[in-house]
Amino acid sequence: MAQGRKGKLNYRCPRCLIREIDMDMLYDQEADEYYCLRCSFTGNEQEVLRLNAQFRDKYRDRTRRITDF
Amino acid sequence: MSFYINIIHRPEMVPEYLQKGAEEGKQEDLARGTVIQESLDIFRIQQQTAHDNGLRTTIQMTYSSLFNNEAVALAREHHQRFGDEIGSTFLGLQCHEFRNKFKSKELAIWLFSMDDKRKIVDEVFNKFHEVFGFYPTSTGSYYMDAELVNYIKKQYPMIKIAIATCWEEGPKAYRNANNSWYTIFDGSPWNPWIPSKHNIHCPASDEEDDIGIVAIPHLSRDLLAVFDGPGSYYGAHPQNILRGMVYEDHEIPYFKNLVDQYRSMIRYNRGYAYNMMYVGPGWMSKNGRWEADYDFLLKSYREGMAYYGQLKKEGEAIDVTMSEFADIYRQNRPYTRPECTLWKDILYGSRRQFFWYVDPWMRFCLDMNEGGAIIDLRPYAARLIRPCGVGTRHIQDASYPFLVQSLYRAGYFTHYAGEGAVKSCKFSHKEEEVDLCTCRTLASFSEEGNIRTVTLDPVDIEFDKFTIRVQSVFRLVEGTGEIEIVRRIIDATGPEAEITIDEYITGCYGTTEYPEDLTGIRLSLKGISENKSIEYAYKCREAEISDIIEAEAIIPQISTRLTMRTDTKGAAGYFREGFAFSPMYTIGIKSTVKEKGELRTWLKVEKAS
Repeated sequence: MAQGRKGKLNYRCPRCLIREIDMDMLYDQEADEYYCLRCSFTGNEQEVLRLNAQFRDKYRDRTRRITDF
Repeated sequence: MSFYINIIHRPEMVPEYLQKGAEEGKQEDLARGTVIQESLDIFRIQQQTAHDNGLRTTIQMTYSSLFNNEAVALAREHHQRFGDEIGSTFLGLQCHEFRNKFKSKELAIWLFSMDDKRKIVDEVFNKFHEVFGFYPTSTGSYYMDAELVNYIKKQYPMIKIAIATCWEEGPKAYRNANNSWYTIFDGSPWNPWIPSKHNIHCPASDEEDDIGIVAIPHLSRDLLAVFDGPGSYYGAHPQNILRGMVYEDHEIPYFKNLVDQYRSMIRYNRGYAYNMMYVGPGWMSKNGRWEADYDFLLKSYREGMAYYGQLKKEGEAIDVTMSEFADIYRQNRPYTRPECTLWKDILYGSRRQFFWYVDPWMRFCLDMNEGGAIIDLRPYAARLIRPCGVGTRHIQDASYPFLVQSLYRAGYFTHYAGEGAVKSCKFSHKEEEVDLCTCRTLASFSEEGNIRTVTLDPVDIEFDKFTIRVQSVFRLVEGTGEIEIVRRIIDATGPEAEITIDEYITGCYGTTEYPEDLTGIRLSLKGISENKSIEYAYKCREAEISDIIEAEAIIPQISTRLTMRTDTKGAAGYFREGFAFSPMYTIGIKSTVKEKGELRTWLKVEKAS
């Protein structure tokens, strides 16, 4: 198998991110997938982005400008 | 009404994140020209962004930047042209010169031995003087322990302000970085304070205790999100917010919401509020960071700075340098004056509120989602001398110990086997019992003279045959070191029913999630006609006496005396020892009332002799 390298934009593992652990992934060019050394996640960029969007869902006010304090 | 802003930049020649992390496969090279140039470019962009928005900055020169003519020239020029302050920082120590002199790869000033700390301080400040011809008046790091600051103040008395801690950067930050980031220092104030000579976390109690500087936190953080989540996701640091992914379609309203909530603190602090932004160049790497490309990193920084600039133009903010702020802060600031704020959720879409309070005696937090339960309590009155760094007992653990930290130690208990650390109140009738922790509510703040009051909206407690309406009020008389807590039944559908009001605190001590040895903690009850006392030995013992004067826990491990007292006649007091699977102690006071009765208690923390 190919040597793992840093991917573009140092994607963190989305599964670890959901439990608030910043774990940079390695990228396998041959398999075109990212993989996590901690939780065994594997997935391509599309899968990472899908899970990252899921992570952001907990911020229900992330698009809201709040001015009433 | 004044909202002060500190904008701080540092020319970091070898940024923590750029040197090895962003460029795969290259060996460490402290003098790599491309990294230094990129870092300086980012520093230049940061400075320009501030100046374009009419804002002045504090330039904290790193040790490595003192050897770089371009960085020194930039600092001089910006000081002359824009009035920026040139200060010093203990971040960014590592460079060839440092390695040659100190033979160490250590990057954190607070983690060196005390002997090394002294040598490094002398080297950094004297190099600064050699380059600029004067000593700095501001300094900082992620953490500055009291022993380090005491030395600095003795040798360099011109220092008047330092970035001294990162708020709630403790076990959560360590875990967030895959257990590899050794900034473990929970327990400080979230806004500027004058620290104690004994422990940097504690506000000084008087002139004699005054360490001689004003401390500011590293970043203005979200006081709700960071209590549970990583500090490096939620603060007045645009790239932290990107790290936390608090955005959608490259829009980040959260930054402005956060700044505005800090602005609102004028309501709780006699017209004063504060905010700081401090972004190291490594956070704006040209290679991108945290799933964000350089354009997004830059956009976030520019928008953040533009908002500060807009506030300044509208007369809503005053930009000051660190040393200017120190002078302002010390004007008319009695040592006993607390800092407090009623913080509301701006992230998760709940209506949750926390009330945070800091004075020289304690720090605590009320959670309105738990009926006003105290979910964090730090006994500053103990003034714990707790040095950190190599050669001390707590090398990396620089947190100030808690008596209650409900997230680290379970809090209101949701499973069957034991208890968690929390301060709350229970209402019971015969076999039925309801804890206020299960009664969500909201609060309001008021101030009259030297009394600050948090009044909670009433909550309804339903028993089998009737309902009572209960209101909680917390009164804080400045300078007493006590929390007065009133639990009042203001209405009842069963007026003849007897209700027992049980005010209690379940505590422990520690700095992390893991239990400490409670052996030897003394639990005592002092009543009008009898006293009872035990030394903690995990034996599950309990005691209760009538006509209580005071219930007490002395925790010798952290030199702290915790007491509850009441003025309610005929009230009973009790203590409860835990066991090894429930390493907690409880002291409480209870009273039985009919109809619209109340129980008034006072909670106090003191130094145990």
